[in-house]
Amino acid sequence: MTTLPLPAAGVPEREMSAAAPRRSRREVREITLIVATALTIVTVGLFNHGFMSTQNLRFMLLNSVVLSLVALGQTLVIATRGIDLSVAPVMGLTAVVTGLLAQSSGLPLVGAVGIAIVLGLLLGTLNGLLVARLAIPPIITTLGTYSLYSGLVFVYSNGTQVDSVPRAYATLGNGFVAPFIPVPIAVVVLAVALLLVWFMLNHTRFGRAILAVGNNDAAAYNAGIGVTGVKVRVYALSGLLAAIAGLMFVCYTGSATVTTGTGDHVELQSIAVALIGGTAIAGGRGNVVGTVLGSLFLSVILTALVFIHVPPIWYSAGEGLMILVTVTAGMRQNRGGAN
Amino acid sequence: MSYAAAETAPVAAGHYQATEVTKTFGSVSVLRGVSLTLRPGRIHTMMGENGAGKSTLFKILSGLLRPTTGELRLDGAPVAFSAPHDAHQRGIYLVPQEPALMPELTVAETMFVGQLPTRAGFPRRVDWPGLRRQAQQALSSLGLAIDVGQLARHLSIAQQQQVECAKALLRGCRIILFDEPTSPLTSHEVERLFGIMRRLRDDGCTLGFISHRMDEVLDISDDISVLRDGALVDTVDRSGFDRVRLLSQMVGREMRVIPRRTASFSTGRPMLQVEGLAHAPRFHDVGFTLHEGEVLGLAGLVGAGRTEIAETIFGIRTPDAGHVRLGGDEITGLAPHAIIRRGLVYVPEDRARHGAILPMTITENITSGLLDRLRQRFGLIDRNDEDRTGAAIVTQYRVRCAGIDQPLRQLSGGNQQKVVFGKWMGLQPRVAILDEPTRGVDVGAKDEIYELIEELAKAGLAILVISSEMEELVRLCDRVLSIYEGRIVAEIEGADITPARVGQSYLSRDGLAA
Repeated sequence: MTTLPLPAAGVPEREMSAAAPRRSRREVREITLIVATALTIVTVGLFNHGFMSTQNLRFMLLNSVVLSLVALGQTLVIATRGIDLSVAPVMGLTAVVTGLLAQSSGLPLVGAVGIAIVLGLLLGTLNGLLVARLAIPPIITTLGTYSLYSGLVFVYSNGTQVDSVPRAYATLGNGFVAPFIPVPIAVVVLAVALLLVWFMLNHTRFGRAILAVGNNDAAAYNAGIGVTGVKVRVYALSGLLAAIAGLMFVCYTGSATVTTGTGDHVELQSIAVALIGGTAIAGGRGNVVGTVLGSLFLSVILTALVFIHVPPIWYSAGEGLMILVTVTAGMRQNRGGAN
Repeated sequence: MSYAAAETAPVAAGHYQATEVTKTFGSVSVLRGVSLTLRPGRIHTMMGENGAGKSTLFKILSGLLRPTTGELRLDGAPVAFSAPHDAHQRGIYLVPQEPALMPELTVAETMFVGQLPTRAGFPRRVDWPGLRRQAQQALSSLGLAIDVGQLARHLSIAQQQQVECAKALLRGCRIILFDEPTSPLTSHEVERLFGIMRRLRDDGCTLGFISHRMDEVLDISDDISVLRDGALVDTVDRSGFDRVRLLSQMVGREMRVIPRRTASFSTGRPMLQVEGLAHAPRFHDVGFTLHEGEVLGLAGLVGAGRTEIAETIFGIRTPDAGHVRLGGDEITGLAPHAIIRRGLVYVPEDRARHGAILPMTITENITSGLLDRLRQRFGLIDRNDEDRTGAAIVTQYRVRCAGIDQPLRQLSGGNQQKVVFGKWMGLQPRVAILDEPTRGVDVGAKDEIYELIEELAKAGLAILVISSEMEELVRLCDRVLSIYEGRIVAEIEGADITPARVGQSYLSRDGLAA
């Protein structure tokens, strides 16, 4: 390297055009979601003041925590161009295992956290190994483990269910940080998880490797990225987050059954809110802030259905309709930004 | 590992030598004992026909493939790579024709994928400002003004190649191989790329280059190696450059082709008339007339725009300008099914994707295009009529098979192609466009297909043949049009259709004038 110095002398030339699209699409998506959420709150609130009460706002926020946690992991998986359907039974199994142990033998909360972490990493890693090492397509792998893990819930619970949890659990699920700070502990848990995942995805080599793999795994391999390892770790993380969501669920509701997670189709909801939040189903682009805003938006919409007296038998159809509309609108927004 | 690694990367003297390198895929031998040396401060070009082994050689040199036997030496020391990343670390970088894009990442980030610079401290975080600055500087040092903050998906292919060059430098690579970079580029973009290549060469980098275009090869190369059928024919330096000799070395083998006894059809009844047809940027102002019973060839390099011309005539693409008439009737802009009904068929190049349904039987394949012509009973297809139709075509096209109910995938490539022909000819077209009609067909069966084509022409069918094999064009055609970068640059007729003339005619924009 003699006559071709890097960095070169001289100022970098002017950028091609001021209008060249930058990474602004994300912010656009986040603003859109915030505005849509706020508009929904205000519109419904005009007809029913109870909707805008502090209490209800807090409820809607709290209600989105479990889904947000699952969807954070799902976002990472989708960013690698994968998909994780098994998040629902991983969440359900963790809720049932920790809940039953707490209910029957007074398992301390610390122990429950430990079990959730181990269980989530274990089940997630199994997904990752099947996808990355055996090269089974993610949708097939996690469809299989979906059934497998759901089956384990039946085996473990053996017909019993969680009806109540010890006080420490309930506090984690419903309590405030301090009596004079009316911020739910669960929201703090989510905020910490979001911060960690956001930092990892946007500011660490591992996070950027996730996106590189999702963009083009052959090229990522050629550039020296350990593609297999990245994928295994991403599925492990998804399992971990789903398990933590399961623990938060049992703490929040005080109950868990064999249909926890799978009954509400958490796997589909988590995919939907990730897409609503601006993550690309084709991989390579992940927006974790958008994901959390997306699940908050979903929570607000679902609560709004109750407040505007939609008959309960329509909830599921309404949720589906809203997901279709939002995902379609979001994809149009992306296409608009593409050129 | 931070960016500093690039500065400590080996400042290789850059003599990169391949010795007796062979490569086989299964039983197919792609490279047979190739030995050559790339030297610093020189641009070394590989020439050869399609399938000569040029790309395979570059893939081996850059760690994408491993040689079956043979040795690579970098400045005298043997090297072996298990992945391209290993080659990068030894200073060797391959710029592919269409670089593998990471569409959703910024240009700056794509340049550092796999070795993002980080800031010290905990947690270790990516140094985004530093990354952008270094990326912008690397591009500026090559005289490029590309906004590194934009998403990579917004780059043109030319820009992607330029970014790849800067990426090679950022990784400290001084041996840079270009695998046929110019074929998707416009002439202006080629000049720009050559500017960069000369700059790198003058700086002492070792450059490898692949191109089919004679003009540009003679323009930019310091050394030229000719490959043929996986073997090195010759390496010459600038003093030994000779257009005609290089050409004959590329084509090489004795031409034992018996040309068709050609006839002049310019007074015959015109069947297909194309006027001023254009589809930017792939081809411009294409015009010709195809007559009843004539076989007209389209010669050209891969990417010259021949398939696009055929697809536009057939209605798959909408032309920007121009007219297509079939037997005097305007068919410009009609959809393929309407054009088929008027008597023009297009047999595409990729048989497995577009022409043949491999799991289905021979009969089902043949009749799939003419179901509405079969006899029906109460709206149901008469299976006996279907079988009769299938059997008739199997006989007429001399398909060798166990029976008409045999699945197509069990047949050889040549027999599959006969079935595909039979399927289309069952429609009794007036004009047929055949795109690479003998691709994937073994040598023996080729002759049979040529005979079929001749019989069809004799029966009055007007045939347009797209082929990359000179022998095929010489064997079949009454007339050959040469396409270069989307324009007709030469027309060769009758006795003038020889391998040498055809081969030379499409290698430059001047056609045969040069």
